[in-house]
Amino acid sequence: MKRVLPHPERPDRPQIWRSLDELASTPEFEAALEREFPQGAAEWQGGEMSRRNFLQLMGASMALAGIGLTGCRRPEAYLVPFTQGVEWTIPGKFLYYATTMPRRNGAMPLIATTSDGRPTKLEGNPLHPISNGATDAFAQASVLDLYDPNRSKDIKNGGAKTDAAALGAKLDEIAAGAGDGEGLAFLVERVDSPTRDRLLAELRAKFPKMLWAEYEPLGSTEAEAAAAACFGAGVVVTPDFSRADKVLAVDSDFLNASFSSLDQVRGFMARRRISEPGQPMNRLYVAETNFTSTGGLADHRLRLKPSEIGPFLRALAVQVADQLGDSNLANVASAFPQAPVPGNAEWITECAKDLAASKGKSLVVVGDRQPAAVQALALAINNALGAPGQTLRGMKVSRPAAASINDLAAAMQAGRVKSMFILGGNPVYNAPADLRFGELLAGVPTTVRLGIYEDETSAASKWHVPQAHYLESWGDARSADGTICAVQPMILPLWNGVSEIEILNRLAGNEAPIGPQLVRETFAQVAGGGDLEAKWTTFLRNGFLTGTAWNDAPINFNTGAAAALTGQYRAGKADGLEVAFMPSTTIDDGRYANNGWLQETPDFATKITWDNAALISPATAQELGVATGDMVTLSADGRSIDAAVLIAPGQADGALSIALGYGRDNFTHVTDHIGFNAYPLRTSGAMTHVGGVSLQVAGAKYKFAETQTHQSMEGRDLVRESTAERYAKDPTFAQTMGMDGHIPPNISLYTHPKLDSPEQWGMAVDLSTCMGCNACVVACQAENNVPIVGKDQVSRGRNMAWIRMDRYFAGDENDPEMLSQAIMCQHCENAPCETVCPVNATVHSEDGLNLMAYNRCIGTRYCANNCPWKVRRFNFFDYNQRPLDQLYFGPLAKKGMAESLQMSKNPNVTVRMRGVMEKCTYCIQRIEEAKITRTVRAGASDKSLVPFPEVKSACQQACPSESIVFGNINDLNSRVAKRKAEPRNYQMLKYLNVTPRTTYLARIKNPNMAMPGADKVGWANGHGHHGDHNKSHNGHGAKPATEAHGA
Amino acid sequence: MANFFPSWTNWLPLKLLVMVLVLGAVVTGGIWYYFTPKYTNVGYMPEQPVPFSHAIHVEQLGMDCRYCHSHVEVAGHSNVPTTQTCMACHSQIKAQSPKLAAVRASWETGTPVQWVRIHKAPDYTYFNHAVHVNRGISCYSCHGQVNEMEVVYQAQPLSMSWCLDCHRAPENHLRPPAEVYNLNWRPASQADQLAMGAEYKKEWNVNPPVTCGGCHR
Repeated sequence: MKRVLPHPERPDRPQIWRSLDELASTPEFEAALEREFPQGAAEWQGGEMSRRNFLQLMGASMALAGIGLTGCRRPEAYLVPFTQGVEWTIPGKFLYYATTMPRRNGAMPLIATTSDGRPTKLEGNPLHPISNGATDAFAQASVLDLYDPNRSKDIKNGGAKTDAAALGAKLDEIAAGAGDGEGLAFLVERVDSPTRDRLLAELRAKFPKMLWAEYEPLGSTEAEAAAAACFGAGVVVTPDFSRADKVLAVDSDFLNASFSSLDQVRGFMARRRISEPGQPMNRLYVAETNFTSTGGLADHRLRLKPSEIGPFLRALAVQVADQLGDSNLANVASAFPQAPVPGNAEWITECAKDLAASKGKSLVVVGDRQPAAVQALALAINNALGAPGQTLRGMKVSRPAAASINDLAAAMQAGRVKSMFILGGNPVYNAPADLRFGELLAGVPTTVRLGIYEDETSAASKWHVPQAHYLESWGDARSADGTICAVQPMILPLWNGVSEIEILNRLAGNEAPIGPQLVRETFAQVAGGGDLEAKWTTFLRNGFLTGTAWNDAPINFNTGAAAALTGQYRAGKADGLEVAFMPSTTIDDGRYANNGWLQETPDFATKITWDNAALISPATAQELGVATGDMVTLSADGRSIDAAVLIAPGQADGALSIALGYGRDNFTHVTDHIGFNAYPLRTSGAMTHVGGVSLQVAGAKYKFAETQTHQSMEGRDLVRESTAERYAKDPTFAQTMGMDGHIPPNISLYTHPKLDSPEQWGMAVDLSTCMGCNACVVACQAENNVPIVGKDQVSRGRNMAWIRMDRYFAGDENDPEMLSQAIMCQHCENAPCETVCPVNATVHSEDGLNLMAYNRCIGTRYCANNCPWKVRRFNFFDYNQRPLDQLYFGPLAKKGMAESLQMSKNPNVTVRMRGVMEKCTYCIQRIEEAKITRTVRAGASDKSLVPFPEVKSACQQACPSESIVFGNINDLNSRVAKRKAEPRNYQMLKYLNVTPRTTYLARIKNPNMAMPGADKVGWANGHGHHGDHNKSHNGHGAKPATEAHGA
Repeated sequence: MANFFPSWTNWLPLKLLVMVLVLGAVVTGGIWYYFTPKYTNVGYMPEQPVPFSHAIHVEQLGMDCRYCHSHVEVAGHSNVPTTQTCMACHSQIKAQSPKLAAVRASWETGTPVQWVRIHKAPDYTYFNHAVHVNRGISCYSCHGQVNEMEVVYQAQPLSMSWCLDCHRAPENHLRPPAEVYNLNWRPASQADQLAMGAEYKKEWNVNPPVTCGGCHR
């Protein structure tokens, strides 16, 4: 009997959509979908070369190639052993060392995987209390920065190359001539390093009048200032999400570990993840301007212009004070300048009621960049909510005092700075525009700049010194909880880099350190008594010193101080548009601009790569008559920037958001001509946003390389969500959504290999806790030698990342929900790709892996065509071997990879060549390594089948929220098997009967039904059962299924 | 009108076709047979920078493979000895031998000796020594009678089909664990080998991978 199994109806207007084009079903969108590969490889696209001169060149090179005929002889290869054996080193075996990535918001403890002395992969340090083994995208990508061939390599004096001896002499000369430090100034980045603090104290003793300034374009000391005022000097507060039932995040992206801390993410997710129906879960309210990963996960989200954040919090404080009858809070709130209540008053009232109802278990967090007045107000609310000691923890920290960049600029302006050191950072590019830092710097007689790259600041400085990467220098740094972590070098400086502490040490007049000497001296001071050698060894082995976390401090709220602080709130200009400056989720403040992995990782919300954009809400765009890609000029207070507009659903009306860090011409070829520099609009009085902005449409169009519409899935229920309430009533809702409730019995026409191995690999991805942070995407790139392809190729749909972080919107186009879903090869048991491969290059293994034998692949791309998930990636060019700007030069392109980049590759994964298909392998190299280790241990015994130690895929290991779990699904005690047994576990496109090994756990939301719009929360899939029953049943044929459904 | 073509030409197309087919078969067969690693790689014996003789070190002096190839039991690579390993003996023995000039130069300058690679699996193939030698596969099975070689050469084709021959029937090569590094050990007969191999295979759960992912990653 012939049975036609229809795809589910494609709704006229999708409930879940990926782009506004899809929502509107524009003809352009329909046309783009028709093409499997958006731009055919067969077509000639080579911008500057014509077909004719390409053929000429081809002919010439063929002739040249013919002369040699070298291909016939076996090339001679060499085996090159060490001359002297290196301790612990076994060729071909990884060695693991603990180290730490220093960050402005607390160091990230890491374990570096080194192969023959080269660090190739970084993982979180599972021993460290805040890390638990997870990382974020920045940490994952930092290993590429180490090998970046564009790094600065030479010490330069006035642009001319010089040597270390000359630099040393110069440093001594400066130190000798500095007297009491008058005229000596330092500008450094914010890092909590005990050794740097110690050397700073030495320098301050030697040069009492020197100026020490810290600047972080995206760091802020406002939260510390507010905490110090409200709780006493040196006290900071940190939220404890693991104890919070209700959380309100105001302009705070605390779920993105890059901008907060891993333990905060983990604490929140522990309360978010529910394994059984009816289990209690936390609730998240978010008020913000643009979509952040936190906003994407929110149960209730309120869009606010940046200038409305303060007034919003005031209105909330008044409501909370009302609810609790708290006069202290009422006093602090009334000290805050009165303003009209922004947004939805009902939203604020109900949110306040809910927070107040969970007194002692609720929490309000405010983004670090908000002014101290707003911070103080939030602390007052938290105090009224009983958070101190419960959901808010106080810590007594000690940090050396530092001036701000504004103080430094004033000193420079007054001509009081004679010798200046800029250690790290790039202030000429990113200092507040009103300071005119570049011009001031030109007026300083001696400037020494330590930097990873020769950038704008280097050009404006007399001396440039290449900075050592943290993976090639000794140091120490405190993690967010204050624990001292070891920064261990994995390799000698590749290009004679010097570390910050070495420069400070020289200026303090000390001998050049030998190895870890500087860190060790600090260690001796902080480690306490006992066997120092043993303690030091443990410190290096574990990567941190136990017991050095900041001490808890009692937090007694000072209402008077808080009221005084909130009274200082100054509303910005309210007329016209507002422009909010946001951190780039891919390149931070611009410091990772030269990192191809990060540049090519699509921003989790906009899905654009290699760019930033001025985000604008659909309503505001319509009002102003602009569309995505329109170039506009944004002007405020006589300053202006050019940027391209991108319509972003979920953006607050009347406010544009633009990520910092882009638009750097004349830096490196990687960063040239991409994105827009927003720093010129940012002044020291307007660091978070600028009001009163006028927008002029410039008329030109700009092309973004977006990945979101590359492959569309036609409105099927790929991503599923519901509410906690519904999950309790109908636990299996996820398995009956769409067509899944009435799939006729299905059989495969093909024979498939037996899956008879004791290990059967599988993966489960929990959508409840996935916030789309991209840590997995970059981790996969690092682990699997995935190449980058450049903006031009991405815009042709040829990006290579094995994990595609899908982003869906659901609901109203101005105020939608956002859902993230990581999609990689699903390792289907009945894999459609395998049946169409003419050369058996993709086959199945007995342990359930869909394998890819690169050496067999001839590049027909049939497999990618037949893949329902669109997760196969084709090497249209030799991305590893050819420069990305010469891809179309054919054989005339420069061939070969930079030597330093060769060092960054994982030796256990093949580097793929042109014409080969690739995709997620479930990290087969890790699986095989584990199997081999087990077999070697078994030796001449039958123990070769003992159960595995846990094999973790790279994405799983990196995931800060433990959303990805991989393992043996045959072992019912494994985490993956337990996850898959949960009722909200579902297969995508189940009716295709491809039985994917990767399954998803439907997202559960926890809306407050009293909130406005609560009935739409968690219903992205509509009523969750597929459309018009009568119509779609016609095709089913199989009777039992129909009956089952009818019941 | 006279015939342009004599009658023998009637058979010409057929004869030509047969010729072409025969020629094609010969060329195909030739390539099939002679262009395989069995003929192109076996016997590859490049000149080494140091005229090192395995025969002297193993047969005369009785050294174990693992004295120099020290990580073979734990790592995927079987390492080539460091200059230090050579000098451990040769700073005393034959300390002035002209044959060892390159080793001494390496020791003095710190520049490694560049041994020419003989046994080379392709880059996309991940062979692991440790898992083989720990499970009763001798060096001999892949490298041949190295203990008797004055100059090392490739003894086996190392082609994929050659690998698979053993992965499909490991009983042909499994031997007592104590004899793995004894390159002179031979089973009493082929029947003995099969019986013993089959027993080991069962006892040790030997189940070599034959899917692509076992070697290609």
